[in-house]
Amino acid sequence: MKGPELTVTLLLCWALAGAGRAEDQPPPEPAAANPEVLTVATWGGSYEESQRRAYFEPFTEATGIEIKTVPYNGGIEDLENHLGSGEARWDVIDMIQSDASVACDQGMLESIDPEILVPAPDGTPPEDDFMKDAIQPCFITQIVFSTVIAYNDQAFPGEKPDSVEDFFDLETFPGKRALRRSPVGLFEWALLSLSVPPEQLYDLLSTPRGLELASERLDSIRESIIWWRSGEEPAALLASGQATMATGYNGRFFHARVVNGVPISVIWDGQLIGFNSWAIPRGTPRRGQAEAFIAFATRTDRMAAQANLISYGPTRASARKRIGLHTDNRVSMLPHMPTAPGHMDSAIQRDHDWYSKTLDLRQKWFKAWLEK
Amino acid sequence: MNRNDLHQIVYRIAVVTLVAIAVGIASSLAAIAFVEAIHWLNDRLLISPYARVQTDNQPGLVAIATLMVPALGGLLVGLITRFLIRERRGLAPPDAILAAQTDGPTPGFRSGLASTLAALLSLGSGASVGQYGPLVYLGAMFGNLSGYLKLNLRHQRSIAIACGVAAAISTAFNAPIAGLVFAHEVILRHYSLRAFAPVTVAAATGYIIANVIFDRPALFLVEFTRVEHSYEFLLFALEGALCAGLAWLFMVSLKLSSRVSQRYIAPAWARPAVAGLLLGIVALWIPEILGIGQETLRFATIDDAFEVTELALIVVAKLALTAICLGFGFVGGVFSPALLIGILFGALYGTVLPHLIPVPYSGPVVYAICGMVALASSVIGAPLTTILIVFELTRNYDLTIAAMVAVVFSNIISYRAMGRSLFDLELRDRGFDLSLGRDKAILESRPIRDYLSGAYTIARVDETVETVRQRLVHGQRAEAMIVDDDDVLLGIVRLQSIINTPADTAAAEVAVRDFTRFDEQTSVWHSMEILRGFLGEAVPLVSMSGKLLGVVPEEAVIRAYLEIVHELREEENEGA
Repeated sequence: MKGPELTVTLLLCWALAGAGRAEDQPPPEPAAANPEVLTVATWGGSYEESQRRAYFEPFTEATGIEIKTVPYNGGIEDLENHLGSGEARWDVIDMIQSDASVACDQGMLESIDPEILVPAPDGTPPEDDFMKDAIQPCFITQIVFSTVIAYNDQAFPGEKPDSVEDFFDLETFPGKRALRRSPVGLFEWALLSLSVPPEQLYDLLSTPRGLELASERLDSIRESIIWWRSGEEPAALLASGQATMATGYNGRFFHARVVNGVPISVIWDGQLIGFNSWAIPRGTPRRGQAEAFIAFATRTDRMAAQANLISYGPTRASARKRIGLHTDNRVSMLPHMPTAPGHMDSAIQRDHDWYSKTLDLRQKWFKAWLEK
Repeated sequence: MNRNDLHQIVYRIAVVTLVAIAVGIASSLAAIAFVEAIHWLNDRLLISPYARVQTDNQPGLVAIATLMVPALGGLLVGLITRFLIRERRGLAPPDAILAAQTDGPTPGFRSGLASTLAALLSLGSGASVGQYGPLVYLGAMFGNLSGYLKLNLRHQRSIAIACGVAAAISTAFNAPIAGLVFAHEVILRHYSLRAFAPVTVAAATGYIIANVIFDRPALFLVEFTRVEHSYEFLLFALEGALCAGLAWLFMVSLKLSSRVSQRYIAPAWARPAVAGLLLGIVALWIPEILGIGQETLRFATIDDAFEVTELALIVVAKLALTAICLGFGFVGGVFSPALLIGILFGALYGTVLPHLIPVPYSGPVVYAICGMVALASSVIGAPLTTILIVFELTRNYDLTIAAMVAVVFSNIISYRAMGRSLFDLELRDRGFDLSLGRDKAILESRPIRDYLSGAYTIARVDETVETVRQRLVHGQRAEAMIVDDDDVLLGIVRLQSIINTPADTAAAEVAVRDFTRFDEQTSVWHSMEILRGFLGEAVPLVSMSGKLLGVVPEEAVIRAYLEIVHELREEENEGA
């Protein structure tokens, strides 16, 4: 670590550690010397907007370090390409936990010192405040999100869809289906619609027979699929009427409905629970600032601030206690969280081990299915 | 009611409840640990599809594991069975039945632990055997342990064994009522309030631990609305009959496999390894035969998950390989394989049926479930339990009634063809025939030497008839036992046969040499058989070397019979 960076890091760590002991977690001291621009790879749209308000702007205000964002839509290919280019331009990346796990195993990420994490305002140490397995050597898991199925209310004036099975029922609920062009969630929903219980999905998808069954189920809606790539698209496809049902991130659908007034309803049946984590790409020259940012963004008050802007659950217990009304619209946030009562009844807990170790297999099957 | 009676009642209720809870907790936790350990081993040894798919990029490694893990697992199982289990075989539900039915000695705790370890290695290395048999024995073992406590409770051992079994089944299936009924139906073989209350407490304890504390997943969840057409009940009955035939084939294959292995593979410890290697070779082609096959069980409830030919092939392969694994000495149960073979056969029946009888029907799922319980109930002799498992897991009356019809027809036929269950057949091979009821089993297990009497008249070989006659008259007896200097019994002299014999004749000359006798192994049941046509005062009981140990009067045999039967009736009819 170079001299100025070390100075900034030490100052920030000292400030944050002090804040941890204090009741109200005061903001970090401004950077003493040579503030730089920190580049964060993240997901755009309303999610990035919530990050901007909860993390980026307050961080810049506190430290003078500017935050620049670059688009990132998940997976490890983008990170691989970035590292392969030879020039380290990304300093922090917001990754799906299973992707972060793969990237960590493949040496694409810097290690993160858990000592940078700040205790809760009541003094609870981070390891007791964060949910289990959130603190990892290469990444810190920060939010719980879910990928859900949603529909345009106006598309179905009579009977409303309410299950994953309905997503595959083109007869009762006609119209296009928007799906992410990635082998994430597709196979799970396909088998879930065949009445396989969520807890057995990954065991069955571990067999060629399970993957074959899922592929056949997807065949039944093949002609009606519209593919999306970025997180903002599903809500837009529903709003425009191009799709009647879509899969997407619950926070984006929440934002579209509560902030933009689009008539979107979420089907919580079969929601795919996932986690996002902060990580530092290998080779960044600003590792100290990156750690300082992660320490700041994982503070209780900052995580709660984001949860009051978009309906993703924080991974810290102390932050969950501070979830209340939407910062702008005064809508109660808790009923829109993936973990709200009733939403978890048939939730799919994404198996991160399975995901991280079946990347090639899933891509192979997905590619073969697309080309069929 | 006096104060002592009240104290006794309070003591009994408190201790029985505490024992039931303690045995229930121990059995349930042990069952969960056992199942988790199997999963852990299956994942580490690349047996489970979940683990195999994660090494998809190393197909060579998966193939080697498929071949070698069951073979090496079999070798370890063979060595454990040979050197650590006193009985030289895996301990299983028949041992639990015998321990509960008779008050004879049970396999030791060390043998029980070694058998559990052997079962764990068998299942962990992918052998085609079941997990519920070892779980039942594990539960029985904990129950049996509590029998050693001096708690001054009648029938404590058999009830505690039933408690352990009920908790294990309740935990394994998330089905407390099925656990309760299984313990009565298969282990105790009678219903009494005295057993019913503690066994219910243990089954509920197992359910609470599995379902509330650990939130264990159910064996299967099936979506089924209702049986659409009344004529389908005939088809369920037919399916039951076919399943009885398959159950018979399954049991015959098990026996045949055992005979073949004993005939062709000399060292017993090597047999499981050979079975493991055979299993591995077939599993390269049909991986569904490895292990318990929970994924396959689930697929069988999904329409079109299998082709008809695939179903037929897996049914045959699973049946054959299970018979080979168990017959060659892998340690495990028959319930899980029977469930799997049954559900696959049911799915096959449900898939083929509309082609043979082209009428509307309710789809293959209900036929798959019917096949599963019909076959399994015939094999383990537990029709009520299997019906209840379906009901508790699905809460669906239509599905349960369909299963009931199939189970009834399967059991009627299989009972006539081969007896109540595979367990009974195994016990019969060991000399305990439960087909005539508990009475006979207990009478067979209780030795008549317990009723030995020292009230008899002795005569030495060199004594004269007159001496013996005087002694008999003096002792008011009609028989004397002639023994040599080593007390070896040579014959019997009867008073009526020496009344007119010259006084100086040697007693040995007029002794009856061919007489009825008991030995140390003679059971109460056998003694009654021997006594048919017997005329005399008492039957001498001799040691292996022929030494006279005492006599058993005819009255004592009748008394033994009446005592045992009375005890049984009391156990079966008494209140809590």
